[in-house]
Amino acid sequence: MIKISNLHAYYGTIEALKGINMEIRKGQITCLIGSNGAGKSTLLKSISGACNRSGSIMYKDNADISNLSPQKVARLGITHVPEGRHVFPGLTVKENLEVGTINWHGFFGRKPYQKEMEEVFALFPRLKERENQLSWSLSGGEQQMLAIGRALMSHPEVLLLDEPSMGLAPLVIAELFEKIVEINKEWGLTILLVEQNAKLAMKTADYTYVLERGNITVEGPSAEVRSNDMVIKSYLGKFANTK
Amino acid sequence: MSPSLFLSLLVNGVAMGMVYALLGMGLILLVRAVGILNFAQGDLMMFGAYICACLLLDFELPLYLLIPIAFIWFALLGVIFMFTIYWPLRKATYSQATIIATMGASIILQEVAKIIWGSQPRSMPHLVLNSEGDPAVLQIGSASLQWQYLIIIAVGALIIFLITQLFEKLYVGKMMQAACQDSYAANLLGVPSILTICATYIIVAIVCGICGYLVAPVFMVRSTLGTLQLRAFAGVVIGGFGSIKGAVIGCLLVGIVESFSTMAFSGYKDVTVFLLLIIFLVFRPTGLFKGKIGDKA
Repeated sequence: MIKISNLHAYYGTIEALKGINMEIRKGQITCLIGSNGAGKSTLLKSISGACNRSGSIMYKDNADISNLSPQKVARLGITHVPEGRHVFPGLTVKENLEVGTINWHGFFGRKPYQKEMEEVFALFPRLKERENQLSWSLSGGEQQMLAIGRALMSHPEVLLLDEPSMGLAPLVIAELFEKIVEINKEWGLTILLVEQNAKLAMKTADYTYVLERGNITVEGPSAEVRSNDMVIKSYLGKFANTK
Repeated sequence: MSPSLFLSLLVNGVAMGMVYALLGMGLILLVRAVGILNFAQGDLMMFGAYICACLLLDFELPLYLLIPIAFIWFALLGVIFMFTIYWPLRKATYSQATIIATMGASIILQEVAKIIWGSQPRSMPHLVLNSEGDPAVLQIGSASLQWQYLIIIAVGALIIFLITQLFEKLYVGKMMQAACQDSYAANLLGVPSILTICATYIIVAIVCGICGYLVAPVFMVRSTLGTLQLRAFAGVVIGGFGSIKGAVIGCLLVGIVESFSTMAFSGYKDVTVFLLLIIFLVFRPTGLFKGKIGDKA
């Protein structure tokens, strides 16, 4: 679906990604793990166009998206759910979802989006209950659901999820990951998942990349990566696969 | 105080408050959209007044032609203002740069107005005239109210109503709100931020222009008309920076206080307004109203 080769990204003069090669396969959940500052978020930002990058990013039928603006990337069907949720605090849940429709609805369009909204409400019934509440007052988990729901409103084919589990309670995280799998299996979306929680991410994902200081060091099907010695040592801990 | 005097002072006060409210609302729209305080707000109004005076007195256009043509000029002014003052500096390391730029823009607008139209104040006829060509008055009992003030109140209320409706009800308005509240996330979803910012500037310039047209008959068209914005600043601070409702109520309060203070000590009416501002800054620095986005904790 997305094929990245020799991708570099920069913040000013600092090189955050040093030649990344990776592939996101259609219909799979691909996950990207790594420690703080490894460049995980930067990689997502480079795909969606929110940071300075060079290299090639091929999307679908060999269309290079590596020099498009975020707006144009969003219109192609790649939707980025940013780290830290970023819901629109002063808009209600419903209005937040409406904003998600902008890339196919157009500024002055009148296309209906009732169907999409009902689908999202069916996926996240909690949002339906809070329909008319301003989104700053939602709990962290609800805000994350809203951020994902908002992205789903935009008719995406690829979803880039940046640390959906950040700052959430374990029960909420479990619920959220069930939904992510549901989005992948039943909605048929391709997902690139960035996570700190390596164990959970690899359990969910089909294919895993490990990012360290701007380079991909380990890659492979999740089951293989999970038994890689280096990954166990650095990310999972000694007893990771004992149970 | 006789009831008729009370009524006419109240109408004057509310009318001037309405003008400040329109300016103040524009200030808040800009603060929310691009995060900067616009110190050239009053000068946009002054420029609008000059444009109207030019169209009305030099080209002698009738009202039905004046309105669309003036609107086009206001919008153009807004777009030019955005692309010269805000756009080149949007990625500046210090956000204060843009604020300083608006101060510069204020001076430039004043001087350009002087260059184009001369430094002599021009007088504009009131909107409603009686048969002798003097400003028309509405008699209620023994109180005589100038129609111009009543029109200011009506038009001001209409504009405030329309703009709140735009932001609350229309799809475009929600996109603009979203882009204001979190431009990063809005960008990732595909909200065209350049369009939303541009639209905000156009709306603000048009509102300022209309203000200029409304106050021109009362204050004359002159290049120092922009100083009215100080009262709008005071009103916005009193009302609280968070909401349009707060700004409108704060500005109306400023207008009314100013109007009633002319009766007791006319030489000190500015002092009264800013005394009110200081009292608020000391005892309630957050203003009368909080914004709708609260602090969770």
